[in-house]
Amino acid sequence: MTAENWRIRVVHTTGYRYAAPVVQSYNEARLTPRSDRWQNLVVSRIETTPPTRSFRYTDYWGTEVTSFDLHAPHTELKIVSSSVVETGATVEPVDGASWADLRAPEVVDRYAEYLEWTRYVPRHAELGQLARTMRKGRKPHEAVLAIAELIHDRLTYRRGTTGVHSSAADAWEAREGVCQDYAHLTLAMLRSIGIPARYVSGYLHTNPDGKVNETVRGESHAWIEAWTGGWWGFDPTNDIEIGPRHIWVAIGRDYADVSPLKGTYSGGAATAIEVSVDVTRLA
Amino acid sequence: MERSTTTDTSRRAPRRARDTGPELGGLFDGYLDPRRPHAGAYDEMFGPDASVRQAYRRLHEQLAASQPGDLAARSEALDRALVDQGITFSLSGQERPFPLDLVPRVITAAEWSRLEKGIVQRVRALEMFLADIYGDQQIIRDGVLPRRLITSCEHFHRSAAFVLPPNGVRVHVSGIDVVRDEEGTFRVLEDNLRNPSGVSYVMENRRTMARVFPDLFAKHRVRAVGDYAVHLLRALRAAAAANVADPNVVVLTPGVHNSAYFEHSLLARQMGVELVEGRDLFCRDNVIYLRTTEGERQVDVIYRRIDDDYLDPVQFRPDSVLGVAGVLNAARAGNVVIANAVGNGVGDDKLVYTYLPEILKYYLGEAPLLPNVDTYRCWLPDEQEQVLDRISELVVKPVEGSGGYGIVFGPNSSAKDLMALRKRVRANPRGWIAQPVVQLSTVPTKVGQRLKPRHVDLRPFAVNDGKSVFVLPGGLTRVAIPEGSLIVNSSQGGGSKDTWVLAPRSSTADAELSGQGLAGSSPMDEVAPERGPELTAAQQQQQQQQQQGGEETDARTQR
Repeated sequence: MTAENWRIRVVHTTGYRYAAPVVQSYNEARLTPRSDRWQNLVVSRIETTPPTRSFRYTDYWGTEVTSFDLHAPHTELKIVSSSVVETGATVEPVDGASWADLRAPEVVDRYAEYLEWTRYVPRHAELGQLARTMRKGRKPHEAVLAIAELIHDRLTYRRGTTGVHSSAADAWEAREGVCQDYAHLTLAMLRSIGIPARYVSGYLHTNPDGKVNETVRGESHAWIEAWTGGWWGFDPTNDIEIGPRHIWVAIGRDYADVSPLKGTYSGGAATAIEVSVDVTRLA
Repeated sequence: MERSTTTDTSRRAPRRARDTGPELGGLFDGYLDPRRPHAGAYDEMFGPDASVRQAYRRLHEQLAASQPGDLAARSEALDRALVDQGITFSLSGQERPFPLDLVPRVITAAEWSRLEKGIVQRVRALEMFLADIYGDQQIIRDGVLPRRLITSCEHFHRSAAFVLPPNGVRVHVSGIDVVRDEEGTFRVLEDNLRNPSGVSYVMENRRTMARVFPDLFAKHRVRAVGDYAVHLLRALRAAAAANVADPNVVVLTPGVHNSAYFEHSLLARQMGVELVEGRDLFCRDNVIYLRTTEGERQVDVIYRRIDDDYLDPVQFRPDSVLGVAGVLNAARAGNVVIANAVGNGVGDDKLVYTYLPEILKYYLGEAPLLPNVDTYRCWLPDEQEQVLDRISELVVKPVEGSGGYGIVFGPNSSAKDLMALRKRVRANPRGWIAQPVVQLSTVPTKVGQRLKPRHVDLRPFAVNDGKSVFVLPGGLTRVAIPEGSLIVNSSQGGGSKDTWVLAPRSSTADAELSGQGLAGSSPMDEVAPERGPELTAAQQQQQQQQQQGGEETDARTQR
């Protein structure tokens, strides 16, 4: 059993190299962890090279957005987001709603956005079929766990097969993918049986026995939250509960609502992308 | 043309013995023929007993006294004037003269006063609605509207959430489309809160009519429309942040290939502000600048005539070359005002429209002064059932449809088409509404050498400066030229009419005397924008796409 409540530092570095100098570059970063009853953000900052003046706002989903633009010609752009977060105890499933409760019109309306099909989470006959078989004999929160386990078992974790634009259907076709695909597939199955479900982006400390002051190569991560009388998270990629190792950043319907960096620029193609996530347990 | 009219008359001659309605004489011969299509429609000049309604009494006297020859001469003069002024609309990329009928449409002071109050009420409520939807969404929390109604709307732009315009106005300009039903009651057909166009036709039609028919104006006290740009400029300047002493306003157009470019340039010229394209503007640290020959100049208010989807490639279509990257966050930061605001489409969604009575009651505690057209919502199971049962009597419209695309007239459709339509409605109930066929009111319109009843609608324009809502007296009356047609679209052979609002007898107000207006007024500032690179093929294509997808007058059908 790991100790509850970790204090973790995350340093997330993203770098772009351009084939020709870029002059007008407009960007939005969604890289800042939030505070809520599970997690407490101690400090956070985003720095860019070349330096920029940034503007912060909270978007529709409650995510902290940092926007910045660059005008002087540059052939490289580096964005470093550093934060210190106190994480919370292990999240337990919520056993608070029956299947009938989930069908109630006011529930369906309140969580409409988390029951809809999206480009990343499309309606899919086979996944729907499969989800209905998982429902039999289970309460909603048990079905969530069973579906996450099924996705975990049926999919092989592999980078490169799917890309940032792959949908749940693409990943199911390939039976391979990364955390984004595991999350989208789980969402597709949960929504098909009327369980409101949403996408969570964040970070994971990869070592369950992480030692204090030891820096590990972590990763950007994604998991899901389901509503079964209350929201609770689960990590289908690893088939584990959300616990002190998970740091959440943003919540949305799918990846498109939370993409960590987006923007436009004029100039040469981005030829090199450097990403690293250094995670250090501080306490 | 001449020949076909003659043949027509001779063919009809033997039937004269039968009832062709009351004898009205001269140009109005056979006007109230009971066999005409939609004979139940409300005629704005004649009552059912052939008496002339008060609004049209003077006009009727003048017209009844004239001969068919006069009509032809006047009509020719009008056509010449239109060609001289170069008033055209573009249809499938082709410029054509925009037909203006020589008989004006007349609205009495009392009728207008009711209409105006109803429009002002609507604009006020829709402003509060949009502020709420892009803020705390109290109307949803209070259970007055289903959340799904908003979240499923294609034009609900989450990226516009919590953007607060300095003076609170989001609907700087609106076009509220109204029709008169069989009883003559004005009803709202739809709201246009995004980029309503057509006001240039209102002003140009008036200018032309005043030039060609000064005698008609001499006998009427018609309220002026020429000062529209004054009201628009006042509202745009009032929209700027409070700490800007002399706000710099620009008109942002998709470009010369857009069908409404004429209007964009007319409004910019009349307001004396720059007409710019996306490439003339840029954003730096959330401030918008105009590139000029004298360097950068900060822009405070953008009256944009570009759709949301093309406005900001950071937030919307990343491939857009028409917009200004970063402009939405500049507005969020309070450094620029986008008029009309981003995301207004959630207020003119055709399904949201059906909830207007609830919206008015919630925000204003008032009942609607202008009723809607009865509408069935296909996304409510019991109403959908009714639509599917009665589909052959109804007009079925796609909720997202602008430009009139996809509208199905049940009575004119084959059984096979209706079958296909039923399937589409069932597959996407949120996507469809249905309305009974409204027999739009008729106004005498020149057809050949006679005046005939033809169906009309009306788009009044409202300008909100944050303190009061100004409604331009009149608006754009569109008329369906083919006999019996309820389609007022210019691309379907529709035309327009000068719309006269009569001044109240007691008022000393602005009667239209010359129609001189503001045209050709002097720009406030002679600094020419420095143009960016020439248009690429892709840019031209987007400029044109805008007009297809957009809210352009000529691209809309009825109804």
